[in-house]
Amino acid sequence: MKKKLLSFLLTGAMLASLTACGGTAAAPAPASSEDAAAEAADSSDAGEAADAAETTDEGGEASEAAGSGAEVRLLNGKPEIDAQMQELAKLYNEETGNTLIVETIGGDTNAADELKKMYQADNMPDIFVIEANQADTWDGMLADLAGEAWTDKTGFELVNAKMGTIGFPYTVEATALGYNADVLKAAGVDPASLTSPAAYAEAFKTLDDKKAELGITAVLGWCAEPANLGWSSGTHVFGQYLDAGLKADDTKYIDLLNDGGKVDEARMKSFAEFIGMMNQYSDPDLLVDGTYDEQVAGFKDGKYAFITQGNWCVTSPDDVSFECGFAPYAFEDGIDTIIAGPPSYWVAYSDGNVDGAKEFFNWCAGDSAQDILVNKAGLVSPFDDCKYEAVNPFYKSMKSYIDAGKYSGWHTMLKKDGLQNVTCQVFADYAQGKLDADGFAKTMAQVIQGYYAN
Amino acid sequence: MGEFSIGRKIASFGGMVAGLILLITGLGMAIGKTGNPFRGTAMIVGAVLFFIGLYLFPTLKHHRMIVNILFLFPLLFAFAVTVIIPLVLGIGYSFTNWDGIRVRGFVGLDNYTRMFKQPGFIWSILITFLFVVFNIILVNLVAFLLALLCTSKLKGLGFFRAAYFLPNLIGGIVLGYIWQFIFSNVITKFTTALFDQRYSMLSETKTAFVGIVIVYIWQYAGYIMLIYITGLNTIPGDVLEASSIDGASATQTLFSIKIPMIAPTITICTFLTLTSAFKQFDVNLALTNGTGSVADFMGNYLTNGTEMLALNIYTTAVINNEYALGEAKAVLFFIILAVVSIVQVRISNKREVEL
Repeated sequence: MKKKLLSFLLTGAMLASLTACGGTAAAPAPASSEDAAAEAADSSDAGEAADAAETTDEGGEASEAAGSGAEVRLLNGKPEIDAQMQELAKLYNEETGNTLIVETIGGDTNAADELKKMYQADNMPDIFVIEANQADTWDGMLADLAGEAWTDKTGFELVNAKMGTIGFPYTVEATALGYNADVLKAAGVDPASLTSPAAYAEAFKTLDDKKAELGITAVLGWCAEPANLGWSSGTHVFGQYLDAGLKADDTKYIDLLNDGGKVDEARMKSFAEFIGMMNQYSDPDLLVDGTYDEQVAGFKDGKYAFITQGNWCVTSPDDVSFECGFAPYAFEDGIDTIIAGPPSYWVAYSDGNVDGAKEFFNWCAGDSAQDILVNKAGLVSPFDDCKYEAVNPFYKSMKSYIDAGKYSGWHTMLKKDGLQNVTCQVFADYAQGKLDADGFAKTMAQVIQGYYAN
Repeated sequence: MGEFSIGRKIASFGGMVAGLILLITGLGMAIGKTGNPFRGTAMIVGAVLFFIGLYLFPTLKHHRMIVNILFLFPLLFAFAVTVIIPLVLGIGYSFTNWDGIRVRGFVGLDNYTRMFKQPGFIWSILITFLFVVFNIILVNLVAFLLALLCTSKLKGLGFFRAAYFLPNLIGGIVLGYIWQFIFSNVITKFTTALFDQRYSMLSETKTAFVGIVIVYIWQYAGYIMLIYITGLNTIPGDVLEASSIDGASATQTLFSIKIPMIAPTITICTFLTLTSAFKQFDVNLALTNGTGSVADFMGNYLTNGTEMLALNIYTTAVINNEYALGEAKAVLFFIILAVVSIVQVRISNKREVEL
C-alpha cells in the first residue's frame, strides 16, 4: 500500500514538473503556469511548488513586456556607462512618456555573439550596437534612418551601400599617440612638430635622455602583449597603417586590404620602422607581458610620456594631474591626422519597433540626452549643435583635430573578422625582437594574405 | 479485451485524440507566431491529456511497458532536446554557410575541405595530440606519486590530500588568470635577476605550451590522485603484510605488488586524462588565448602557436564569425572524441574480463 502511495506521489511530482517546464516554454500564457503552480502544490512537493511559482512570476513579467507597444529595448555594448544609460532611460520616460529598456552586454562577452543568440531565440532588441563590419551580417534587417532630423546635425552616421543610413553614432572616440603635455613641455618637445618620423626620433631620444630628470620610467607605454591586448595592437595600432594621414572618407588601404589581403609594401615598411622605434623606447616590462591596467595606470601616474591607446583610457579629469593630448602616428613625413569617429553604432532592427527607435534617436540627439551622455557618461558628442564640452581630458586635443579636418576614419573596423588575432602576434614577435623591420613588414603581408585566403 | 469497460476505452482513445489535436494546434499557433495567449495552455493540456489517455490504454500485456515509457519520457525528452537535436542540427549546419543568423545556402563539403587547407587548424590538431600525450604521462605520474605520499604514514595527511585536491575545485578560467599573473609577473622577476631573461615563458610558443601543461597538471593531478588513493586502499592488507614478512623492500613492494594490484585504476585514470586533455579549453583560453608564433609550418608563419582544437573551434565560430566552418570543425572533433571513447570502453571492458 505504501509503495503504491509513493508511486502515485512520484507520478504526481513528475507530471507537475513536466507542466511546470511547459509553463516556462510558453511564458506569455500566464494561465498555464498558474495551473502548473496549483498542480505542483497538490503534489505536496514543496520544491516543485516553489519552482512553479517562480515560473509564474517569469510568465507574468514576460507578458507584461510584450504587452505595451510604445516600448523600445536597447542593447548597450558599453558596460562602463550602464548606470548613465539607465538614467537616460528614466529621463526619456519623464520627458516623453515613452519607455526605454536598456540591457547591457560587454566586457568579455561579445555583444555580436549575444545578438545572434537573441536572434535565434526571437528575442531581438529594437536598438542594438554593431561595429561597422557587422552590417553585412544583418543585411536587410536594419531600418533605413535617412531623413531623420538628427542626420543633419552630424557627419558621423553609418551609411551602408545596400541598406542606406543605418547607424546612429552615440559617441566619438579617437586613437593616436596620447601624450602627457606637461612632460613634453618640461623636455622642450613641441607636440605640434611631431609630424615626421625624424621629429619623433629626435623627440623620443630627448625624452629618453632626460628620463631621470622628468621622472618617467620610459618614453612610451606601448604594450604588444597578444593574448589580452590583441585588440589594441591588432585593431587600433594596425588601424594607423590603414588610415593615418588619410581623409576620413578615404578608403584606399582598407579597400586594398579587403581585396584578398593586399598590403602596400612601402607604407608597411615605413610603418614597421616606426613601430620598431616604439618598441625601442617602450617600457620593456610592459612591452611583451604587460596588461591594459598596467599600461593605463603607468600613464595616469605620469610614468610614460606617450601611450598607445585612445581617449577611452582616461575618462575623467580627476584621473590625471596633467594635460593630455594626441599626436599622430607620423610614420611617413607629413602625417598629421588622428583616427576619430564612432567605433560602433546603434542601429534599429527593422522587424522591431522602428518608429519608437527613430523617436528615441531624435530625442537622444537633443539637449537633455546629450547632457547625460557627455557630462555624466564622459562620451564625446558626435553632434554639431551639442553645447557641452566633454569632460574627457583628451577632448580639447581631439576637438582641435576634428575642427581642423585633420582626422581619419575608423576603417580598421571594416577588416575581416578576427584578423586582429593574427596581426597582434606579429606585433608581439617584433616587440620581442624575433623579427626586424623588414621581417615585420614581410611577415605581416604574408599572414594577412594567408588569413584572407582561408 | 472484454475486461475493459466502454468508459475506459472512450477515456483512453478520446484523451489521446483530443490531446494530440490540442498539442498540434498549440504548436501550430506558436510556430505561426499568432501570438494567441492560449497556445501554451493548449499545448500543456494537450500533452497531459495524451499521457492520461496513454496510461488508460486498454491493455494488460503492454501496460507495464507503457508505464515504463511514461517514466522514461522526461529524461528522453530532455536528452533529445539538449543532445540529439543539437547534434543533428550541427551536422546539418556544417554543410551550409550559416553565419549564426541565417543559412544563405548549402555549400556541400566545402567547409570540410576548407578546414584542412588551414595550416593553423592542422597545427591545432597536432599540438592537441602532443598535449594529450604529455598529459597522460605526466598527470598520471605526478598523481600516482602524490597518492603514494598520501597513503604513507605522514603527519597531516588530511591537509595534504585537501591541498592537492583544491586546485581542481577552482574553475579553469580563474586558474588561467592566476597562473598568467604568476608566469608574467612573479616568475619574470626571478628570471630577470638570475638569467637576464625579461620576457615571460608565455611569450614564447614552446615555453607557453609547457606553461599550459604545468597548469593543467596542477589542476588535474589532485583529482586523479584521489582515484589512485582509493585504488591503493583496496590492496588487501594481508598481501602487503605477507610481502614484508618475506623481506620485500619498499621498491619491490611497489613494483611487484602495488602497481599490478591497481592495474584497473591505472586504466581508468589513463582514459580520464586522455578525454579531458583532448577537450582542454578554459585554461588554454585564459592563459594564452592561443597566441604564440611558429616561424615556419608547412611554409607558413603561424600565429596560433598554442591554440588547441577546442579553442580553435571557438575562435573560428565566435571571433572570426564563421559559424558553419566552426560547426564542421566541431563535427571532426566529435568524431575524434567518439573514436577515442569507443576504444577506451573496448579496452577497459577487455581488461576487466581478464582481471
